[in-house]
Amino acid sequence: MERAVPLAVPLGQTEVFQALQRLHMTIFSQSVSPCGKFLAAGNNYGQIAIFSLSSALSSEAKEESKKPVVTFQAHDGPVYSMVSTDRHLLSAGDGEVKAWLWAEMLKKGCKELWRRQPPYRTSLEVPEINALLLVPKNSLILAGGDCQLHTMDLETGTFTRVLRGHTDYIHCLALRERSPEVLSGGEDGAVRLWDLRTAKEVQTIEVYKHEECSRPHNGRWIGCLATDSDWMVCGGGPALTLWHLRSSTPTTIFPIRAPQKHVTFYQDLILSAGQGRCVNQWQLSGELKAQVPGSSPGLLSLSLNQQPAAPECKVLTAAGNSCRVDVFTNLGYRAFSLSF
Amino acid sequence: MSSESSKKRKPKVIRSDGAPAEGKRNRSDTEQEGKYYSEEAEVDLRDPGRDYELYKYTCQELQRLMAEIQDLKSRGGKDVAIEIEERRIQSCVHFMTLKKLNRLAHIRLKKGRDQTHEAKQKVDAYHLQLQNLLYEVMHLQKEITKCLEFKSKHEEIDLVSLEEFYKEAPPDISKAEVTMGDPHQQTLARLDWELEQRKRLAEKYRECLSNKEKILKEIEVKKEYLSSLQPRLNSIMQASLPVQEYLFMPFDQAHKQYETARHLPPPLYVLFVQATAYGQACDKTLSVAIEGSVDEAKALFKPPEDSQDDESDSDAEEEQTTRRRPTLGVQLDDKRKEMLKRHPLSVMLDLKCKDDSVLHLTFYYLMNLNIMTVKAKVTTAMELITPISAGDLLSPDSVLSCLYPGDHGKKTPNPANQYQFDKVGILTLSDYVLELGHPYLWVQKLGGLHFPKEQPQQTVIADHSLSASHMETTMKLLKTRVQSRLALHKQFASLEHGIVPVTSDCQYLFPAKVVSRLVKWVTVAHEDYMELHFTKDIVDAGLAGDTNLYYMALIERGTAKLQAAVVLNPGYSSIPPVFQLCLNWKGEKTNSNDDNIRAMEGEVNVCYKELCGPWPSHQLLTNQLQRLCVLLDVYLETESHDDSVEGPKEFPQEKMCLRLFRGPSRMKPFKYNHPQGFFSHR
Repeated sequence: MERAVPLAVPLGQTEVFQALQRLHMTIFSQSVSPCGKFLAAGNNYGQIAIFSLSSALSSEAKEESKKPVVTFQAHDGPVYSMVSTDRHLLSAGDGEVKAWLWAEMLKKGCKELWRRQPPYRTSLEVPEINALLLVPKNSLILAGGDCQLHTMDLETGTFTRVLRGHTDYIHCLALRERSPEVLSGGEDGAVRLWDLRTAKEVQTIEVYKHEECSRPHNGRWIGCLATDSDWMVCGGGPALTLWHLRSSTPTTIFPIRAPQKHVTFYQDLILSAGQGRCVNQWQLSGELKAQVPGSSPGLLSLSLNQQPAAPECKVLTAAGNSCRVDVFTNLGYRAFSLSF
Repeated sequence: MSSESSKKRKPKVIRSDGAPAEGKRNRSDTEQEGKYYSEEAEVDLRDPGRDYELYKYTCQELQRLMAEIQDLKSRGGKDVAIEIEERRIQSCVHFMTLKKLNRLAHIRLKKGRDQTHEAKQKVDAYHLQLQNLLYEVMHLQKEITKCLEFKSKHEEIDLVSLEEFYKEAPPDISKAEVTMGDPHQQTLARLDWELEQRKRLAEKYRECLSNKEKILKEIEVKKEYLSSLQPRLNSIMQASLPVQEYLFMPFDQAHKQYETARHLPPPLYVLFVQATAYGQACDKTLSVAIEGSVDEAKALFKPPEDSQDDESDSDAEEEQTTRRRPTLGVQLDDKRKEMLKRHPLSVMLDLKCKDDSVLHLTFYYLMNLNIMTVKAKVTTAMELITPISAGDLLSPDSVLSCLYPGDHGKKTPNPANQYQFDKVGILTLSDYVLELGHPYLWVQKLGGLHFPKEQPQQTVIADHSLSASHMETTMKLLKTRVQSRLALHKQFASLEHGIVPVTSDCQYLFPAKVVSRLVKWVTVAHEDYMELHFTKDIVDAGLAGDTNLYYMALIERGTAKLQAAVVLNPGYSSIPPVFQLCLNWKGEKTNSNDDNIRAMEGEVNVCYKELCGPWPSHQLLTNQLQRLCVLLDVYLETESHDDSVEGPKEFPQEKMCLRLFRGPSRMKPFKYNHPQGFFSHR
């Protein structure tokens, strides 16, 4: 079978190295700017790239618009998670959380505003921070390799509380706004709910113990969580399942074999992505509405730009095991890809 | 007698004085003339009109009388004759009148004519005067204009400007007081000064001429002296030959080489000069020699008289024997051979490396194409047993490929050659590269030939500075290339036997116990590499060109088989080999469906700098292979046990790991920490 072969450009040492770097890049996290026009993406080399969504989506977009406006080395290790407040971008990876001003980041040579490290127990290996969550009253929750949830007050920068309970490292966090409660899912296979006011664990769901959703050959780890106050959807090693929280019962099991790494509620759909190229769209009843292929062989993060300030940049972006961020202007197909 | 005339005479009385002078004169004139009859005076007194009337009357009378006579004659009779006689007398009188009138008329006419004539003469005289005057006026005007236009020769001389003149001229010439006011004097003064200056300059000129003559003579003398020196020096050189040999300083030999070098074509000459200079100055391991026939080189420059004779002879032959005309193909072949002809002389460079292996480079010059080519050969101190997979490593065809990125040496670097090729039907030079040598770009640069792509030049000439600027880098690259290839050669021999040769100074990169083993190491063809299903990413990234070498390694442990497809860039080891993995164990896992396989590839491809080892990093490939074995160990041992399947784990965990999984992708701990000996995550 003949395959169209791209011309081998004469590559010197630096070009070969850069090509190899890009081949082995993984984008772990994304975050949209408060104005809605920029997207930050963090990769496994510790770099953060800022893409201009407004210029990439405009009608005069050229190839350069799909490249980052600026790229800088943010962390020594991979950037596993990022969130945006109304003025700052918070990024976390190898044990530290750093804050950057969105207004300053577009200039070259930007320095972090501050960096904090939660009080860890072990000193032999610095645990990673896998998830960041902004909770009401200006607080940030960090969770990751040391199996604990740390609460940090964003104004003072002090770490106020530590929530212990997980027996293995934590993958993901979600906020249940009504109560307010925080859900965390971890490698130990449990989803734990914590009450923020009392700082105690109020509910535990051990997903792998339910036969309908457990898949022992994948493991028991919970890779992704999303909640809609009464309902929660989680996935990972076990199947992607929709739970009713009050009764702790699985109501719908979504029939997909590949472990899912990111899930989110969107309007009346559930969007999920994981191993495999596609972004899956599910009805709440469990039916697969659409599977839209992206350009990466596996996806790790989805981001919906719903900032009210930039309605023209309302897109879904997906990133994972490649150096590209796929942009979906409508959920039916992949419009184009931004690339590191 | 005329009564009137007598009347006229009689009253003419001699007047006495009393009348005015003129009148008197008139009267005296008339009186003098009155002595004899003056009809002229009478004309003035008579009225022409009355004379005319008289004439008419007279004619009438005459006619009457004639008529009467006629009548009488016709009547006849006696008294007729008396009447006729009477009438005849009357007619005679009338005839007299008529004659007088005629005379008067004539006189009048004459007078008129005379008066006219006189007036005319006067007018003519005035006219003539006028003409003369006009002519003179014109003449004078011409003279005036001539005078006005007159340019004296002195105006053609360029005089110095006024300021300069006053500055430079000595006061006795410039006479400022006089000349300032009077332009005529000023000009004269300036001309004087000009003359002065010119005289001085003429003097100087004569002096300089004589100087020049003197100096020329001196030069002649010195030349003669020098020419007499030459034969003496030659004899000294001859005498010193035995001394040179005794002291091992072969100047003569070098001199002979330089003699031969004079016949080299310019690019080869540049290469020879620069390489010799470099060898003497920086690198004692480089030796340069010229090979080939000097006579043939000299023959190239002979005028083609003989060939012209041959041509005419052959033409004659052709006419006679048409059967013997060579076929078109043979003609074309000859033309091609002619186009690709090499200069009979070639330059040989020998680069000796530390381990006594030598790289022999022979540089040729293709005259019609104006490019240089090189043939390479590597000889080692000891006989090398070539392992099967190392076939291409040291082959003369590919050992120098891509010395600089992209310089594959299969195309001619001179863009003008394409037109020449079209004429004789050569598609590309790569067909002839085996016998002619490779036209690499660095070879052209060493010969000082530069073929700019943007502005094709008419003639490209050899440039020494271009060659000098590239010499050192190229020699260093050549040495590194030979050494890395020889190192690979040795390593391949060991790899084929299933042993990954890790040197002692790289042992720290790996744990002491490595269970996975390399079982196979083979060469793979370029097309086969492209067809593999797990190499698509590398091909799409443009890293799998046809100048690379491809290999397949197979690492096994227990039931797990790891296939590694290797791309070896000719620029090894500055450009790292690239690995793509496919693991067959409980299903097929590649980088598209298993993040950990992707991470393992990243460990050897992206983090290769840790594996380079001591300079010149010949250990890179073997270290990468050893690392792959270690990674496979970690992968298999840290695989989480599936509780639903019965039986113990196939690979018990022996490696010390702090954590088995980390991060959202649940990576395995692939990083080895020395000297503690545990595995952690990056």
